[in-house]
Amino acid sequence: MTEQQTIELPTADDIRGLVRPDHVHRRAYADPAVFQLEQEKIFGKLWVYVAHESQLKKAGDFVRTRLAEHEILVTRGEDGKIHILKNRCPHRGARLCMTDKGTSRLFSCPYHAWVFRPDGTLSSVPHKKSYPESFDLNDPQNHMERIEKIETYRGFVFATLNDNPRPLVEHLGAMTEVIDNMVDRAPDGELEMAESVFSLEYRGNWKLHMENAADIFHPSFVHSSSVMPARRAPANASIIDQDQTREMLMANGFGFDEWEGIQLNGLAGGHTYMKNFYNQGVLSHQQQDPVIVRYRAALVAKLGEEKTAQVLGMNRFNNIIYPNLIINAQYQQMRVATPLAVDRTLVRIFCFRLKGAPDEMFHRAVRFQTTLGSPASMIFSDDVEMLERCQQGLAKDEGPWVDFSRGLDSDQRDTSGAVSGAASEMPMRVQFQAWVNYLTAEAA
Amino acid sequence: MLDYQTQRQIELFLFEEARLLDSGDFEGWLKLYAPQGIYWMPSQPGQTDPLNVASIIYEDYGILAIRVQRLLEERALVLTPMPQTTHLFGNIVAQAKSEQEFSVDAAFVCVVHQAEKQKVYAGRHAYDLVRAGDGFRIKLKRVSLMNSNGTQTPLTIPL
Repeated sequence: MTEQQTIELPTADDIRGLVRPDHVHRRAYADPAVFQLEQEKIFGKLWVYVAHESQLKKAGDFVRTRLAEHEILVTRGEDGKIHILKNRCPHRGARLCMTDKGTSRLFSCPYHAWVFRPDGTLSSVPHKKSYPESFDLNDPQNHMERIEKIETYRGFVFATLNDNPRPLVEHLGAMTEVIDNMVDRAPDGELEMAESVFSLEYRGNWKLHMENAADIFHPSFVHSSSVMPARRAPANASIIDQDQTREMLMANGFGFDEWEGIQLNGLAGGHTYMKNFYNQGVLSHQQQDPVIVRYRAALVAKLGEEKTAQVLGMNRFNNIIYPNLIINAQYQQMRVATPLAVDRTLVRIFCFRLKGAPDEMFHRAVRFQTTLGSPASMIFSDDVEMLERCQQGLAKDEGPWVDFSRGLDSDQRDTSGAVSGAASEMPMRVQFQAWVNYLTAEAA
Repeated sequence: MLDYQTQRQIELFLFEEARLLDSGDFEGWLKLYAPQGIYWMPSQPGQTDPLNVASIIYEDYGILAIRVQRLLEERALVLTPMPQTTHLFGNIVAQAKSEQEFSVDAAFVCVVHQAEKQKVYAGRHAYDLVRAGDGFRIKLKRVSLMNSNGTQTPLTIPL
């Protein structure tokens, strides 16, 4: 595959030696051999989100994305099925598709004009008579390489390179609830992915972003430069967003007292989420807000009062599905962090339209996406700065242990898994426990 | 074609905007905006809809004022050390929409230098300007980044 294979991979004992109950070794973030093992045992073995069905409505629709170290095309075939193909011509190895999404009934290699169907099979080659008699269009070795293991959960398409994976719903566990919740919030019972996506690359390990998304301790410090001006600014000075941006900026400015209501949850498999965050104004579905009144009525008409209250009542923030998917159902937001190298990560930021909801609900989701996920975000840019500074420090072999001890003495367990207060680093410990388990698992 | 004097006034107004940004006078920069002025940086080439399609920045005066105050906060991590910029505005073509209002198209290049990193942004600016006293105010500035839908890194100083 790549020259990286010549790296000697860490053994299971090496990996166990990198994680203590309250500390993690810097090599987890900075060692290319550890990264290579992650590509193999995490991104090459677990179910990884690749696309949403609303991007693949008709035959020929495709999106280009990544799975482990592979660039892939997720396509809708003539047979109506979803297929996943490595984006590489089997003839001379050229990268085939050069756009992120589109519709194409055929993928044709510009080099010697081999032409493939959306299911990866070879449709034609020019001047076939010059190929030997044994050359067979139907021979899979002449087809775009297919990734066979694909499962969809309520419109979210996952794939794995694992030949023998456990069922997707088993991997998702209780995190299916947050996908259910986002879909159930649509009065028509369907989500539509928004056209606009942000792609941001930072110079740091992928796990730094996943930890940061589970970290409710940092915002008061990291984001004070946007909290303070937002607090000083007059309410409703903006005429375009009903003060949503200002409220979102202010929401990061909670003091130690306000941590009290927040609860962190950690599940087996490395999934985590937090409860009770963003509780003000437009963000919290005020009863008197006319948009919410209309939206709620549409939902009640479909689901009834009781179920509606239940759906809108779920207040979980930053639901992190291991290894790299983050969902915020109540704001219809989604992030995917894709590792590119041990010290390079691509973050893609998406949002969804709730079908059947008032247009203004979608406008708010779009505004949320911009405020929190744009490259010019007054919030995310400060996060990225810290992730990069961590990587810069961790790249050097000085004081090799990273501390994750906060909350160790006070974490609880309930039937769902680990539970803690906002100040705890329990979610990172849960992530690293899963990390060790996956990296040291015997091949199935 | 616009008369030479007005064209020149508009060019000088744009150069003043670049100077304010490069000298770190962000409050002075904000004063160039009309009270309901909008700064818009689309995320898609040819984007016409700021509500249904996310923008990199879509902010009116009220939100821009917060952005400007943040640039003046000592605690802004992403601004430590403070980035240095050179904004270059050129190929400026202005047209009169009425006695008082003008639309302006310009090309821009901005080099941002911070610590050991240097980045280059390029694209086109489209302005709606309105006369105010001796000068102008910005009703809308649309910044079309050449790589608006590409992979980005954090952007801090307005372009």
